[in-house]
Amino acid sequence: MSPGRVALFVTMLAIAVGMLYPFWVMISDSLHTQSQFISGSGFSLGSWRQLSAALPVGRQVLNSTVICSMSIFVILAVGLPAGFAFAKLRFRASSLVFLGIVSAMMVPLQAIVMPEFVNVTRVGLTSGYFGAVLVYAALGTPFSIFLFTTYFRGVPDELVEAGIVDGLGYVGALWRLVVPVAVPAIATVTVLQFIQIWDDLLVGLLFIQNTADRPITVGLAALASGRTTSIPQLMAGSFVSALPAMLVYLGFQRYLVKGLTMGIDR
Amino acid sequence: MKARRLTLSQRRQLAGVVFALPALALVIGLIAIPIGQAVYYSFTQWDGITTTWIGTSTWTQAFHNSDLWTALKNNAMLLLWVPIALGLPLAIAVLLHQRVAGWKIFRSIYFLPTAISWVVLGLVAERFFAYQGTLNSILHAVGLSGVTTNMLGSESTALAALGITFVFTMIGTNTMLFLTGLATLDPSLEEAARIDGAGRWRIFRHITLPHLSRFIQLAFVMTVIALFSALFSLIFVMTGGGPGYATTTMEFLIYQTGFSQGQFGTAALYGIILFLITGAVGIIQLRLIGSDK
Amino acid sequence: MAAITFDGVTKIYAGKPAVDSLSLHIDDGEFMVLVGPSGCGKTTALRMLAGLEEITSGALSIGDQVVNNVLPKDRDVAMVFQNYALYPHMSVAQNMGFALKIRGESKAMIAEKVRAAAEILRLSDYLDRRPRALSGGQRQRVAMGRAIVRSPQAFLMDEPLSNLDAKLRVEMRLEIARIQRLLGVATLYVTHDQVEAMTMGDRVAVMRDGHLQQVATPQELYDRPANDFVAGFIGSPPMNLLTTRVSHGADVTLDILGQTISVPTRYAAAFSLPASGEVTFGIRPEDIVIATEGLRARVERCEALGAETLLHLSVNGPGASQHLVAKTGPRTSIVAGDDLSVTFALEHAHFFDVASGATLRAAS
Repeated sequence: MSPGRVALFVTMLAIAVGMLYPFWVMISDSLHTQSQFISGSGFSLGSWRQLSAALPVGRQVLNSTVICSMSIFVILAVGLPAGFAFAKLRFRASSLVFLGIVSAMMVPLQAIVMPEFVNVTRVGLTSGYFGAVLVYAALGTPFSIFLFTTYFRGVPDELVEAGIVDGLGYVGALWRLVVPVAVPAIATVTVLQFIQIWDDLLVGLLFIQNTADRPITVGLAALASGRTTSIPQLMAGSFVSALPAMLVYLGFQRYLVKGLTMGIDR
Repeated sequence: MKARRLTLSQRRQLAGVVFALPALALVIGLIAIPIGQAVYYSFTQWDGITTTWIGTSTWTQAFHNSDLWTALKNNAMLLLWVPIALGLPLAIAVLLHQRVAGWKIFRSIYFLPTAISWVVLGLVAERFFAYQGTLNSILHAVGLSGVTTNMLGSESTALAALGITFVFTMIGTNTMLFLTGLATLDPSLEEAARIDGAGRWRIFRHITLPHLSRFIQLAFVMTVIALFSALFSLIFVMTGGGPGYATTTMEFLIYQTGFSQGQFGTAALYGIILFLITGAVGIIQLRLIGSDK
Repeated sequence: MAAITFDGVTKIYAGKPAVDSLSLHIDDGEFMVLVGPSGCGKTTALRMLAGLEEITSGALSIGDQVVNNVLPKDRDVAMVFQNYALYPHMSVAQNMGFALKIRGESKAMIAEKVRAAAEILRLSDYLDRRPRALSGGQRQRVAMGRAIVRSPQAFLMDEPLSNLDAKLRVEMRLEIARIQRLLGVATLYVTHDQVEAMTMGDRVAVMRDGHLQQVATPQELYDRPANDFVAGFIGSPPMNLLTTRVSHGADVTLDILGQTISVPTRYAAAFSLPASGEVTFGIRPEDIVIATEGLRARVERCEALGAETLLHLSVNGPGASQHLVAKTGPRTSIVAGDDLSVTFALEHAHFFDVASGATLRAAS
């Protein structure tokens, strides 16, 4: 390697250290007891052992998983037929409706959070997961429809027509032909939404009233706001919360990249 | 009732409408209607249960409220970090694009924080800026003990700490975007320029950068939108909006006004303001996405 | 199996007729080729029959049933698409059996029908492959297979050979014709290639700008074209069409840019020629004979095709010239720039109305 390449490599290594810093903090800080942490010396697995007493991680990870799965299910269940409709079953004003739905991508939840909160509370959906699931689904649907519609437009019309001549109805054509062909797009939406919903705080904080139903991010934020919180335990909890999203990211990196750069890389 | 016989295209259109309907209902019910409600409630005295129409007086009051101006000012100050939130990823993307040994592993590492909740990153950032945190350790180590501070504890520095954290959280996404852009750059252009005797900087300045302009525009818009609407988690765990109102941005002001102070009408009004700001930025983004077709 | 009838079928796209009152009958078991230049409405006609396109007006029947508003799945027709449209996530066997599976036939029945079709199409060794792993010709055969396992009322084929290379195309041309005859299913085959039309069809329907020009057997189409468009479209190189001035004497005399040829009355009698004025005189390249005397022409270009030679000739008059292509034998000594004389095999001459283009052949 030339000296220039070596310098480049060293620079990249330094950046990597910086990007891994959060993980280092979480792991190293969690391997102390609170008193060891304050004194700055010693090493213990105590914080990990007592983690579930401070933070019901098992239950909260389960809550997060259920909320994510249900939301993604709704997003796919409404997004796939809608994408199919906009791409292949164009109806009167369908492009206008499509534009309207896609514009909803630009609406941040904070802008409408007051009426949203009051509405969802009023219909009694803030007990249990359903309020949060509905809000996540509504927030995730516009982008998913954008992605599915774009993807389905690339699927030849003849594929659908062949199925229709072979005896399928539109429902059959969607589930038996288009969906199997759209696996990459479905994976992209799933991975992207999983990470977004798993990582979110605001919706879980407001739309889930029952403490036992809290997702892990809300649990962490609540733990962090306590005055006597043990920092090693907080870091241990953070690591647990970060792990699933990290694993999903590492496993499906290319789908995530595809989703985030969608609409510009064509 | 016997169904009227539909023509084929009527049947196709009907299927289209039926397929689009659930999604449309979701978006109308949970996004469009709340926008309308927010507008309506911004003209009322509203506590979540009863509403009293008070016309534009909420608006006049709001614009005389220093909290709103503080929040807008904080957002404006945070905008100063946007060039760094773009420049750093651009530099990193260019480095990655050199494809040194192991660049794919580096890429995975650089993108890794993208997967992590901003709640977690906020908690880590708190450790970084804390009095016994990493930042001060570094300052000690390099002999700058005199300037050690608790950045999050001081009104003058808390916003900067938030800005730095924000830059860190945006690195992954923006690097990804720029790297995608670089991948679409025709390498023969660079080679032709090199043959013509252009140096590295000139190639970057006159070939790479113009090619990336669309990606930079998009990253800019996405970063600005994130700055207005995605900092909630960071603020919530790092500062709670404080000290004082030092780190209260628009979105956090909405949360505080509505949920801590119970002023639903005013919070809805702030929501409309936020909606208008991000809407304006969003229209630019739609233009950008639309312009490449 | 059933006959197919288009009765005044019209399709209007954005205010313009893509197919204008098409009336066409396809007998049960008949191989009908619909041919014409791109944009002539032939594919639209096919898609209306498949139920993929709305019929604006007129009646379309399969057997005795008017199918205008019958869903594609209830029409029981099978279609082969230009790009094959194979299901990429299914194996060859699954592709072929899909329609039967939808119809709810038993697994054993499906397997048997797929096996039989695969045998006819020589696909037996590929049944477990995905379409992606097949060559173009194999994909084409799978698309055929998907159609034939269904034993449908009719086969609809939309330029099924246009994505194949020339050699394979000749092979598949024979193959498709063979299979169609074997199964005896009414077939509507759309193509823009007149060679396919001539070699495959029992009858050929020629379309242009949404209008049906002529329906006839290939030979009839070639020998007795209904108008100058069909005359020019069928045959390669196309029929020569010359503008001539006609006059009647002992024989009929044609004036071409000052030179005259006389047409014996026994040949001219088959046509109702006007007493005077212009007519379009049509003569096929192979009906032009090089002679020592006759119409004088100059050789502009000479194309040796191996088995034959095409001569591009120009007939020059004062201030104007007309172009002719003649077909002659191989290994000729004629070169560009030569002047020569030609005569015509006038028993094969055609006459068309200059204005309407319609043939002047008297009804027989």
